[in-house]
Amino acid sequence: MSLIGELSLWVALLMAAWSMTVSFAGATLKRNDLVNSGVRGLYATFAMVGMASIGLWYVLLTKDFSLEYVASHISSTMPSVYIFTSFWSGQAGSMLFWALILSMYATIAIATSRKRNPELTPWATGTLAAILVFFILTMLFKANPFARLNFIPADGKGMNPQLQNPGMAIHPPCLYLGYVATAIPFAFAIAALFTRKLDAEWLAVVRRWALVSWFFLTIGIILGMWWAYVELGWSGYWAWDPVENSSFLPWLTTTAFLHSIMIQEKRGMLRKWNVVLVVMSFLLAIFGTFITRSGVIESVHSFAQSPVGPWFGTFFFLSVGISVYLVGTRLTDLQAKAELESMVSREAAFLYNNLVLCGIAFAVLWGTVFPILSEWAKGTKVTVGPPFFNTVNVPLGLLLLLLTGVGPLIAWRKASVSNLKRQFAAPAATGVVVGVALFAAGMHSIYPLMTYALCGFVTGTICQEFYKGIRARQSIHNESIITGFYHLVVRNRRRYGGYIVHAGIVMLFAAFAGLAFKSQFDVTLKTGEAFETKDPYGHTWRLVSQGISTSELRDRSVVAVGLEAFRDGKRVGIIESEKRTYYDSQHNQLFQPITGVGIHSTAALDTYLVLAGVRDKDTAELTLTFNPLVVWVWIGGFVMMIGGLIIMWPQAERRRAQAGYSAVMPPARTATVPAGV
Amino acid sequence: MNSRRDFLTGLATGAVALTMGARQSGAQQRGMIHDSSLVVKDSANLFAMDQMAAQSVQLPPKPGAMESMTVQERDAVERHLHCQCGCTLDVFTCRTTDFSCQVSPAMHRDVVALVQGGYGAQEILDAFTKTYGERVLMSPTKSGFNLLAWITPGLALVVAAGALSLMLRRWGARRPAMPAPVQNAAPGSRVGATADELSRLTAAIKGDEDA
Repeated sequence: MSLIGELSLWVALLMAAWSMTVSFAGATLKRNDLVNSGVRGLYATFAMVGMASIGLWYVLLTKDFSLEYVASHISSTMPSVYIFTSFWSGQAGSMLFWALILSMYATIAIATSRKRNPELTPWATGTLAAILVFFILTMLFKANPFARLNFIPADGKGMNPQLQNPGMAIHPPCLYLGYVATAIPFAFAIAALFTRKLDAEWLAVVRRWALVSWFFLTIGIILGMWWAYVELGWSGYWAWDPVENSSFLPWLTTTAFLHSIMIQEKRGMLRKWNVVLVVMSFLLAIFGTFITRSGVIESVHSFAQSPVGPWFGTFFFLSVGISVYLVGTRLTDLQAKAELESMVSREAAFLYNNLVLCGIAFAVLWGTVFPILSEWAKGTKVTVGPPFFNTVNVPLGLLLLLLTGVGPLIAWRKASVSNLKRQFAAPAATGVVVGVALFAAGMHSIYPLMTYALCGFVTGTICQEFYKGIRARQSIHNESIITGFYHLVVRNRRRYGGYIVHAGIVMLFAAFAGLAFKSQFDVTLKTGEAFETKDPYGHTWRLVSQGISTSELRDRSVVAVGLEAFRDGKRVGIIESEKRTYYDSQHNQLFQPITGVGIHSTAALDTYLVLAGVRDKDTAELTLTFNPLVVWVWIGGFVMMIGGLIIMWPQAERRRAQAGYSAVMPPARTATVPAGV
Repeated sequence: MNSRRDFLTGLATGAVALTMGARQSGAQQRGMIHDSSLVVKDSANLFAMDQMAAQSVQLPPKPGAMESMTVQERDAVERHLHCQCGCTLDVFTCRTTDFSCQVSPAMHRDVVALVQGGYGAQEILDAFTKTYGERVLMSPTKSGFNLLAWITPGLALVVAAGALSLMLRRWGARRPAMPAPVQNAAPGSRVGATADELSRLTAAIKGDEDA
């Protein structure tokens, strides 16, 4: 099966190369037979990459340790589900997974859009095939998942137990699904630039795939945060690690694009900018992979480093060069069809939103690559860690939160004073009330206070929009609140799905601000001893050690401690933390010892316990952390996912026709139309 | 079409031959390696931990030295020091959460000794920087070349905002005069909208997407 897998990869390479060549030739010579052949070549590439993927899954599930990839990433004691997910846990497998997703996406995108976009199809097909050629070529020459060992080991090395986590099983595929989806808008942008068809034609397909990318990146990032929080034991979920940053960068630019595309749809503006954002999102996804794989930047994810780094670097700079050339030579074709009429309008608010999102993206990128720049310029490596990213990004994040509330409410074209008063009075009052109440309650830190006040403001805008919409439906259709809510969302998915995403963003910001009140304690407890302290809300916690237990299992030894926890005298349960040491079948230690974190989670507070060490057999050295509002990160992420699904859900054909590009708006008398309408 | 099929068949045959050849050649090369640990790639640890990365940071105690700071202040200093084991955490976070790391406890011991020797926060950071270099700090210093790290994002944002403002002004200068916006709410409106807004709202509810 490994032979079939490897052979399939070679055939896939040929098919992709064929598809690329004949698609570009067909587009240039305007020959439909070549164009059709190119499309079929793309489909065949998908089939061949699919076959190779089945081959890899087969050798993994049958534990064929004669293959280097299998021996390196699974062991005979691993649960089947993680043997299945080990497909993408290593370098070569994840490259194949990329190629699989890309070929699948490319097939779907071309199959569903070729009739609507006949002129763009060959260029887009050629571009996607070119990306596939790169991936398959890199795989075959630098990271072949079917490479054989010259002997057959008795057992494989296995997967790091920290990666054997449900979150980590889903997090990488989601990120890949998000990263790879940026290739489709990129391919259509390149096609639009080649053909100079930069009008509404490419917008629909680009927007759909940008949403797919955003959706999966969001899930992937949130799952990564969750995994870091429950597995790594450092009581946080985001460390501004270069690899975390590289997943965040395309998310930021895609988010910016999903906002600015609305201006192009409504007003025919920002055409250049939208092309740039689409191109940037793809390039940042490749850049992220380059960072992950090359090891040029120190990262906790260095387990993924390999010789493919230079290949990705070359591909990245080649893509940058082609994109810059195409955009530069098509600038005149990208002139806006309308112009901004006021700096106080929804268009302007979206521009500010783009400015801030791209400002954050630049700051993150700058901080990520600064160690390299420093090494080049001074010969010394510096560390750019959380203090830098937090200092730079917190004010920008607050500005973004403010715009999250302003953008949807302000009128298109030009907002009048009455429009501003009517739309913003209640939300602004909500924000002020929240801020004053928290200040009176003793919250005097400026950033958290501003965050919660702005959360109040944005929540006010969202509630107001739903309230007005439901009231309008009640008055017109005589519907109940629930029916009105349902119809409001279903019939205006983009807008109200967007508001739901914004609600998720508010929850995330509220949770982030909670970190300002985090408190941590080093505790040493003998069996029966108690530790008493107060949490950030002023509740008294008493934690009593129940002793240390040790156990030997088939593949690991476990040292665990349990603390009986009481809050304000009321028992809340036992919080357990453990250290696990893994062994192979010859009882040789594998991996570093791994922390099993104990978390007692409520809506207001996480009590986070880590067993840091054991002394004299019955003395546990522990780190206790009170983490306020963490659970809202996961809830906010889930709400964003629901909002994203609502936006992406396919519309009925009738309404799809009504949506989309309309550069010409009614005359300016409509200037005071509220944003939510 | 037949000729293209023939061509593809030829290519596929060539690929088979190439694969078989590559396999043989690879097997020969790999046949030279006998130690399994050299061959089986390491996916064992999330990062390459260097347990030997700690270096001694010691200074003689100041005359009549007393502890220069509280435990909380000392922990705050450790949050500015980057553990050198290969993780991306600060010394405080690493030593309190990862008991397999031997580097952060060693760095912590040096911090404690310096605190007991009467050294202040900046003096401790300077001592660590002298031994390890600037990479031991969790963020770049705000001087010299490193100043670029701090000012560039803000500068870029200001430049971008300036360019945007210029662009908006240019657009504003070119656009025709706008009629006055409608100010009055529609009589009897339950949602506080003008008649024009209400008509658009009705249109939106009837099925327009994102009016």
